[in-house]
This record gives sequence, structure tokens and C-alpha cells, in this order.
Amino acid sequence: MDLIYALAVGALFAIGIFQVLRRSAIRSVIGFVLLANAVNLFLLSVGAYDGLQAAYTTSEQIRADALPQALILTAIVISMGGTAFTLALLNIIAARYRTADLDEMEGLKH
Amino acid sequence: MSLFPTHLLLLPLIIPLTGAAIALLLRKVRPVQEYWTLGTMVTSLLASLWLLFTVQGQGEPLAFQLGGWNAPFGISLVADLLAALFVVMVQLVMVLGLVYALGSRDKVVQYPFFYPLFLTLAVGLTGTMLTGDLFNLFVFAELLVISGTVLTAMADDRFGVEAAFKYFYMSLLASFFLLLSVGSMYVSYGTLNMADLARQITAADSPGLLLWPGIVFLLATFMVKSAVFPFHFWQPDFHTAAPTAVSAMLSSVVVKLGVYGFIRMTTLLFVAQAPIFRPVLIVLGIAGIIYGGLAALGTHNVKRMLAYSTLAQVGFILVGIGWGSTLAIAAALVFAFNHSLIKAAMLMLAGYVASRAAIKSAAFQVVTGMGKALPAAGILFFLGGLALSGIPPTSGFVSKALLFNSGIVGEEFMVLLVIGLASILTLLYVMRAFQRIWWLAPQEGAKAKPAGDRLLAPLILIALVVVLGIWAAPLVDVAQEAAQWLAQPDIYIQAVFPGG
Repeated sequence: MDLIYALAVGALFAIGIFQVLRRSAIRSVIGFVLLANAVNLFLLSVGAYDGLQAAYTTSEQIRADALPQALILTAIVISMGGTAFTLALLNIIAARYRTADLDEMEGLKH
Repeated sequence: MSLFPTHLLLLPLIIPLTGAAIALLLRKVRPVQEYWTLGTMVTSLLASLWLLFTVQGQGEPLAFQLGGWNAPFGISLVADLLAALFVVMVQLVMVLGLVYALGSRDKVVQYPFFYPLFLTLAVGLTGTMLTGDLFNLFVFAELLVISGTVLTAMADDRFGVEAAFKYFYMSLLASFFLLLSVGSMYVSYGTLNMADLARQITAADSPGLLLWPGIVFLLATFMVKSAVFPFHFWQPDFHTAAPTAVSAMLSSVVVKLGVYGFIRMTTLLFVAQAPIFRPVLIVLGIAGIIYGGLAALGTHNVKRMLAYSTLAQVGFILVGIGWGSTLAIAAALVFAFNHSLIKAAMLMLAGYVASRAAIKSAAFQVVTGMGKALPAAGILFFLGGLALSGIPPTSGFVSKALLFNSGIVGEEFMVLLVIGLASILTLLYVMRAFQRIWWLAPQEGAKAKPAGDRLLAPLILIALVVVLGIWAAPLVDVAQEAAQWLAQPDIYIQAVFPGG
């Protein structure tokens, strides 16, 4: 299980970083979403080793740690809002330059 | 302990948060909203001053466990002298920022969401400084980032949206690093409470598996947040494009979040590991001082110049934190406090000059020679320039004197020589701007508009700067006491876990 987590986090991270560094703004926002998921999966793997049982049950077996789940819930909400806001900003910028190529958005180089 | 004092800790957070919610409801009646916001912020400043005096008076940090869940299970809010001092600094500058916004002619202050966002910016910043929980720090930092970004995105400057995009992108990435650090700490020590983490890291025989990655992620986060040299590239654009009242906040108190984080890291969380990463802070600080100074000297815009200057001034604070002695930490605290006041005042003055210019811009080609019509702003800018470069009778002198003194006591002569020489750059760029605006002859057709922003806020700030330069004892005493508390992490830990 650990190995699957490690591979998944690693792959998501690598793809995410690669996409974030792309010239196309839309691809880089997609990379950003992937990174968010890599981080969330990492947080989950931090607490999920001990049990496949839900956090709050009366079961006698080892239960999953509830804290990382709460953290992820908060992080998902924040990154959802962040992504929506990034896309909104991007929408305005892309409309101004008529392109999503980050190299052609040079208004700030003055 | 009575019921009252620990709840006092909530006031600087609760007041602006409730105020923001009510200000949203008042969005249809703008005059009411404006004065409601100002009243909220002033009340909150009074509460945070009260907090500072209470903490200093009782001689030990205040801790409050949210919801009655005791640490390490609940979220604790802790105000030691460092946090209380920084909260006072934040709220003082935010109040004056609001005063400036009330007298501003920017279109942005007329948006119904401007004032509520300003208040949530204050909540985010205060929260990061009062919280005693690493994940809670992330939540407050996000609140701060989102408020700051929206405030910039709706700026009058047409590049505001792009600057906001650039900043938001960087700081969301930084937030991911903060989350990675949170995860690393949790897997290594099973707790996120800062006091508990400090206790467990000290007690552990061998460092936890992910301790070092956690430290590095946390360092990277704070470096992006406070625009330390190689992580700074978003900062000048962002601080230039933001509306004046907002950029005065961003460039003065918002960058102090990283400074606060570094102090907490070196004096509480990672005391044993600190000697290994302190040199990094010194080296990056020096690089920032030199690069920021040179870049400020080469800019064509007063606001941009001041943004680069922030890079250099944060460098000085980092060098103080990197030295790490009690004297140096006290000097860094005084430096941070004074820099907030000075930089806010200077940016407001730059914004004031721009508001009187024919085209609303702080570029030198627009504002050259504007000063003839604005003598009062000239005097204030000159005093602020003296303070920025550390010349008496201003508070900038006190902070530089303390910092250099701590370097001499610590026998760091090579570093002192470099930063001493580099601080001459400050004098050069500030006086270059002063000369361009107030000495050179005005250009053809460049006439000052009859009215602009109100000069009240920078006037109060510069008055404070001069008063703190002549009567520096209270601030320096508080900073020294705070540094002595920081030298003993047990004081903080004891406050969160009374009775161990």
C-alpha cells in the first residue's frame, strides 16, 4: 500500500511540476490542480498507514487517523477556491492579450 | 488565572472578522461602511495594545485553547511578547492604511468589497502571528493571500490583474510547500501544535524521518511569503501595481509574515537544527541587501524603487535573525517594527505624489519636478528617506545602530563591512528619488493637479517614525524583553502546556 501511495504521489508531483512550468497558461493551471492533488494524497498517506477502517467507528480494529482527513478537507476547499480564482484572473488576462501563451503576456515588462 | 485575560487573546482576531462580515452587509451605504471599518480597526488596535501590555505586565505568554480542547489536540492561540508586538505593529499600520484609503481618490476604494477585504487581510495577518498550530497558520496565510490578491486585482493600475495572477500563483505554490511541511512534521512527530512539536523535536534521540524535508519546505514557504532574494521576482510587480493603500500594507507588514516565521523557526521549532540553516538566512539576506539596493537604484518608478527597497530591508532583518544572539534578535524585531512604519509612509507618499500627477503614475518621467507644488510631502519624504537609510533623528537610525551593535558584539566584521557598504545604496536611491521629484525643474506641460489623496496617514506615520527615533526606549525595551523570552523556548512551551 505504501508503495502505491509513494508512486502515485511521486508521479502526480512530477507531472504537476512539469505542467506548471509550461508556457501555456491553461496547461500550467492544470499542473497546479495536479500538484494540489499530489499534496493532498501525501497528507492522506501521512495518516492512513494504520487502518483501512473509517476514523469514527466502534470497530475494534485499528482505525484510520482522522486528523489528516480533516486537513485534506480544508486543503481541498482552499485549493478549489484558489483554482477558480486563478482561472478567473486568467480569463481576464487572456481576453486582454488574445492568447494563453505566458511569453506573450508582457504588460509587466515595462 | 481568571477567565478574562486568556479570552483577551481572541479580540484582535474576532473584532476585524466580525467587522468584515458586518461591513459586507453595509455595502450599500458607503459612508457608513467606511467609518464602520475604521472604527473596527481602531478598536482592534486598542485590543491588541491591551494584549501587549497584559502580556508584558504578567511576564508570561498568554495561551488560549480554542473550543476548550486542550493542546495538543485542539488549536491553541499563543501570544508571547513577539507575537503581541507584531500584532500591534500590523494593526497600527493597517489602521493608518485605512486612514489613507478613506482619503484616497482611487476608484478601487469605491468598490463595495474593498473595506471588508481590507479587514480580512488584517485578520489573516494577525492570525498567522497569534496561532500556535502549524496547519492553522496555513489557513490564516491563505486568507491573507486571497484578500491581498483580490485587493490588487481590482486596482486602478491596468496591470493589477497580471501582477495579482503572478503573486497568487507563486503563493499558492508556496502554500503547497507549507502543506508538505505540515505533512512531514505530522508523520515524523504526530503533532502539529508548535509548542508540542518543539518539545518533541528537542526530546527525540534521532531526528525524525522527514524532519529535514519539513524544515526546508517551511523555509521555502516563508521565503516566498516575505520575498527573500531568489524568491522575490513576483514582489516588485505586485507591490507596484497594487492600489497605494494596499501596497503600503503589502510592502510593510505582509512581508513581515516571513520574518515572523523565521524567528519562530530558529527560536522555537528547530532550536537544535537552527545553527545549520542560520547561515542560509545570512547569505540570502546579504544577497537581498545588495541586489535590492542595486535594483532600486536602477528603477524608473518610485513605487517600484520602494518595492525593491523592501527586498533590501528584509535582508537586514534576515541577517539579524541569522546571527541569532539575543541582541541580534532584539535588533531584528526593532528593525522590523520600524521598517513597517517607514515603508508604509514612503509608499503612501509615493502614491500621494502619483495622485497629484497629470497621469496617475509614480514613474519618474511623470513625476519629475512635481514637487514644487507639494512642499509638505517633500519634507515628509525627506524625513522618511533619512529613516530608510538609517540617519538620526529617525527610528531607522535606532534599528541600524542596534543591528550593527549586535554584529560588533558577535564579532561578525566581514558581514558588517558588506552590509555597511551596501546600506549606502539606500541613501543613494532614496535621495535620487527625492532629487528627481523635488529639485529638478518640472517638465513641459507637467502640472500638479489641485487635489489628490489626503496626506494625513503618512503625516502620522512619519511623526511616529521621528518620535520613535528620539524616544526609542519603550520599543527597544519591549523588543529586548521579547528576545529574552525567545532565548528560552520553555517559556512558550510552558504557556501552552501549563504543568508540563
